[in-house]
Amino acid sequence: MLDALFHPRSVAVVGASKGVSATGSVKLGTAALQHLIEHRFPGRIYPINPKENELFGLRAFAGIGEVPEPVDLAFLVVPAEACVEAMAECAAKGVKSAVVFSSGFSETGNEQLQQRLLAAARAGGIRFCGPNTAGFVNVTENMVGSISMVCAINPFRRGPIAFVTQSGALGGSMLGRAMEQGIGFSHWVSTGNEADIDAAEYIDYLVEQDDVKVIALFLEGVRNGPAFIAAARKAVRADKPIVVYKTGVSDVGAAAAASHTGAMAGSDRIFEGVCRQFGLVRVDDVADLFSTALTFAWLGDKLPLGRRMGIVSASGGICGVAADECQRAGLEVPELDAAAKEEIRRYVPPFASVRNPIDVTGQIRSSATGYQDTVRAVLRQHYIDGVILLITMAGEPRASFYGREISALAREAKKPIIVAWTGALSLATNGYPMLQQHAVPNFLTVREAVQAMRALADYRRFRSRAAAELET
Amino acid sequence: MRDGSDIIREAKARGETTLSEHDSKRLLSKYGVPVTREVLTGSRAEAVAAAQSLGFPVAVKGCSAAIAHKTERGLVELDLTDAQAVGSAFDRMRARVPGIGVLVQEMVVGRRELILGLVRDPQFGPCVSLGIGGIFTEAVADVVFRVAPFALAEAVAMMDDLKNSALLGPFRGLPAVDRGVLAEALVALGRIGAEHEDIREIDVNPLVVCGSRPIAVDALIVLDRPISSVVS
Repeated sequence: MLDALFHPRSVAVVGASKGVSATGSVKLGTAALQHLIEHRFPGRIYPINPKENELFGLRAFAGIGEVPEPVDLAFLVVPAEACVEAMAECAAKGVKSAVVFSSGFSETGNEQLQQRLLAAARAGGIRFCGPNTAGFVNVTENMVGSISMVCAINPFRRGPIAFVTQSGALGGSMLGRAMEQGIGFSHWVSTGNEADIDAAEYIDYLVEQDDVKVIALFLEGVRNGPAFIAAARKAVRADKPIVVYKTGVSDVGAAAAASHTGAMAGSDRIFEGVCRQFGLVRVDDVADLFSTALTFAWLGDKLPLGRRMGIVSASGGICGVAADECQRAGLEVPELDAAAKEEIRRYVPPFASVRNPIDVTGQIRSSATGYQDTVRAVLRQHYIDGVILLITMAGEPRASFYGREISALAREAKKPIIVAWTGALSLATNGYPMLQQHAVPNFLTVREAVQAMRALADYRRFRSRAAAELET
Repeated sequence: MRDGSDIIREAKARGETTLSEHDSKRLLSKYGVPVTREVLTGSRAEAVAAAQSLGFPVAVKGCSAAIAHKTERGLVELDLTDAQAVGSAFDRMRARVPGIGVLVQEMVVGRRELILGLVRDPQFGPCVSLGIGGIFTEAVADVVFRVAPFALAEAVAMMDDLKNSALLGPFRGLPAVDRGVLAEALVALGRIGAEHEDIREIDVNPLVVCGSRPIAVDALIVLDRPISSVVS
């Protein structure tokens, strides 16, 4: 239903100009036009400006009504008061969708102007993003409809994550940093004021797209609870997890409640209940949003069947850290049985510890296959549901050995493998990046690796419960 | 609809914005939530007779929709063991609040207390809560929510989500809480929320676990304001 927005054949930019702002940067409408051109939008582009005949080598039109061909999508980057009229002109032209970048609507208290904008759009059957939005990107189609400076990263890094954010500025910054870290995206949407399309409807649409494997959501508030729940249910059915970070943990409105239950409610506790009830994966730290989403994209078909972890490292110290983190996260680290211990003793130095966590010791590097054989043996145990591998100080060429061998182990394994690489990355310049290239979830801290595994286990538990309910 | 609409209608007709403890429990019990055995009495003789038929010890409480904080008003007397004590308690309550209804109820003793509730979230509608009750409620702040209505399996998942879910299992010589009964009560609260739009909030506080059996010992149902009082 939102295809005209995400897959337009033609885009008109209302409000592009040659002018520059007081600080010398281009105006927002011009930025939107430039981003569209620079990211090689494959369809037609129509700048709309009554004072110009040409902008950036493209023929400009005085009004959208003068564009000779159909327009699927219009960018509105004119002052707020002018937006209603511009939207009405789009409606008269038969434009199907719009992005209203302009600010000065409900976010500044001007709810009435926003309602008039909505009415003008509805009258023409136009669906729109915003107002007060940084726009959207359909990475797969090179469709960049955004004023965000993150668009200077060109091309965008493609990947399995669709990112929906209710904060445009923070969203852009998160997107840029993530791409620098090698995380790729299929879509990005800054939802703005959600006058027409809200976060739930974007999720509903994105879940249907083949290039989306997981949805990352930065949420400030839910506008329509039932629609949000419906979208979450749809995501579960499509096996495309929603990973969410939500602001606003304070208990707004609790003081006004008449009952004890009302006083204990608060928006955050109820949202937590919604996440658990409908299978949203909630992260407590905004920095975990994309790494968790990527873990789901890569290990979605290898979810751990239970919470019992095998831990392998060449450092006894970090084995202890990992065992503690697992306990905090509600993951178990069962002792290996006698047969498994006996087998692993054949692969490791005599002073290694084989209980689980398994400390193979630094001496393991004297063996060409001891490390891999140990990990395989742990993976084979029926009472182990996933494996966490911890790399401490590993310089080249040992780092490349780990990168190569862990990637191979992860590929052949039926169970999830997650890596924490805690040593100096500057000494692992070849080895560490191999993990990312081979889609092995990797983290720089033990806590993040363990939390990612916990999220997988929680989601798997939710899915099996949901499946059981469907059967009954 | 399991009904209970008549209870709400009559309370509204009296201009009440909350149901009394007794009316709240009558409505809950129509939906299968286990509540204390109790009798609403209007005379000393009725109170004594009620106590004798329930069996001692009993609790005696002032019962009025207008008074939510009964303990602070001296309207709760517990563990009364004979007719004399019940009679005097009745007299004291009538002296404090002339004409007040007096509730005589079985004493339910248990070392574990839970709080069940219903609220209406502006976005998600009726939501049911389960929390750890008792004197440390606020300090422990262990409460979980679900959007209503939901099935029994979801109610069981709520119990597992409590940080202190161990309290529901066999605990310090106490038997495990009857999860089936507790789950039914949680589902029932959700159904009440879905079926009675004019109920704004419900507090079942405490739900005392007596042995393994959870029983609502006190309850409060908050209604939307009656139409007459909304007129400006």
